[in-house]
Amino acid sequence: MSLGKPIKIYKEVELPRPSLVLGWKEDGGNLGRKVTDYLNNKLKGEEFAEIEPEEFFPLGGVAIKGDLAQFPESKFYACPEHELVVFQSDTPGAEWYKFLNSVLDVAENHCRVKELYIIGAMVSFSAHTTPRELLTVVNSAEMKEVLSQYDLARDMDYQTPPGERPTLNSFLLWIARERNIPGVSLWVPIPFYLAAMEDAQAHKKILSFLNERLVLEIDFSDLDQEIREQNEKLALARSRFPQIDDYINRLESNLMLSEEENEELIRKIEDFLKEGA
Amino acid sequence: MELDLGSAMGIKLYQEPELENPILVASWPGIGNIGIIAVDTLRGILEAEEFGEIEPWDFFYPRRVFIRKGVLEYLEFPNSKFFFKKMGGKDLVFFIGEEQPTEGGRMYAEGRKAYQMANLVLDVAEKFRCRRVYTSGAAVALTHHTTKPRVWAVPNSESLIPEIRGYENTVLMSNVEGRGGHGNITGLNGLLLGVAKKRGFEAICLMGEIPVYLQGLPLSYPKASKSVLEVLTRSLRIEVSLDKLDELDQKVQQRIEEFYQQIPLEIRGQLDRLKHVTYAQPAEPGPITEEEKKRIMEDVEKFFKKGGGGG
Repeated sequence: MSLGKPIKIYKEVELPRPSLVLGWKEDGGNLGRKVTDYLNNKLKGEEFAEIEPEEFFPLGGVAIKGDLAQFPESKFYACPEHELVVFQSDTPGAEWYKFLNSVLDVAENHCRVKELYIIGAMVSFSAHTTPRELLTVVNSAEMKEVLSQYDLARDMDYQTPPGERPTLNSFLLWIARERNIPGVSLWVPIPFYLAAMEDAQAHKKILSFLNERLVLEIDFSDLDQEIREQNEKLALARSRFPQIDDYINRLESNLMLSEEENEELIRKIEDFLKEGA
Repeated sequence: MELDLGSAMGIKLYQEPELENPILVASWPGIGNIGIIAVDTLRGILEAEEFGEIEPWDFFYPRRVFIRKGVLEYLEFPNSKFFFKKMGGKDLVFFIGEEQPTEGGRMYAEGRKAYQMANLVLDVAEKFRCRRVYTSGAAVALTHHTTKPRVWAVPNSESLIPEIRGYENTVLMSNVEGRGGHGNITGLNGLLLGVAKKRGFEAICLMGEIPVYLQGLPLSYPKASKSVLEVLTRSLRIEVSLDKLDELDQKVQQRIEEFYQQIPLEIRGQLDRLKHVTYAQPAEPGPITEEEKKRIMEDVEKFFKKGGGGG
């Protein structure tokens, strides 16, 4: 079945009123990709639709990552035993309004989605030992009320600074509002030195909230193990390299590092984790 | 047959004023924002009334989000607005685009989106039976920032050339030194001229000169906007005070001087010679030969390629 270009539907989704969880593949701490992959693995998500790339991505060749040729993908998955649809996508580079409306066309017209959950990472200049927060931006006062029972930071004030542009998540949240789809943008601050790697604690922070809110009944023991391992590796890095320990100690004391120190910490942590500790 | 804009995607008219013999004056941002400052200044002086817009969603990425107490309140997009001013039988329609719709990270509009936007602007011009279109932009020239900028005029029809020859302080491309009647107008300020030609509108683009060494700076250049407005207002037969642009120019000139003093003495010495260039009698040899101009241009290019001018 086709809803017309650029959407391709492979099969019908028989979920009465699901929620849609959306994540971008290129996100800080690998947050969007990891959370959506995790949900699909745990809840047996089945691919049922995609958005064709030609209008939204530069197709002048292919990127290579980790020795593999990449190709932009924007796919929908349905989790049959739960009221859940997952959308995972590369970040479009053009025709954003059309792309985001295409996402919501599938959500609204094909799946009758009742709520939208958008995943996003923000870089934080705090240490990895600081507990992760979950910040939210909603597109209606009603949605804010719905989320008031959860442990979330819900009172953020923000205005795009000069020279910057809003995130794609804000753009999507706004379009959802225009289409009367209640939605929330979920933001986890990720320590800057883990932003280019993975941050298992951040993954769990989002997943725990979704688990509770959408009654998914996920067992997180594997993710807990991942968090333990990452913490152990970071503790090992601190014990082996006094400079790393000094930088992280200062962050834990709420002291800022210089730009050069930030860069050095990022480089040392990345080298250490990539070498398998 | 009258064009029905009710079905035209992207155009929103809040009212449909009765206009007599209107002329469209349109501009988007460009080098030194010369055109848009000229057009927006005239719109402001005449207190033209807003009557419509081109909806931004298909053309632009939003530029600001406002979040208050965790609720997304507002997403701001670049405006593309229409204004009108009744002038007693020679009415004016203004179009001011705050951004050019770009694709693939380019600075100026080109391709499908630019063509779509140019056509939407002309759809409105057609609906109100505009008889002429003016656009405005910048002409990068080997001039000095202390001299009065000329205006380069490019019409889209042969029949407009005699009229342009009568404009003061204005040159056609064939009179611009070293151009031989050729050139290129980048972005929508130029494209609109071409699309207007295709759709049968007569149109003129007025470009104020900006010194070559200022073209990459994030500064407006109101001195050239004033030159453009002097020509435009005479052509439209309206009289307005342009003092506001003089004030703006004084502020900008201070910043330009600060930048100028950072240019290495050797290159600045070459540029200083441009103060004495006069185009009053372009047929006569000026104080700088073509060979010398070429060398100045090469030195300036070398300096900016090396990453100079970061002041």
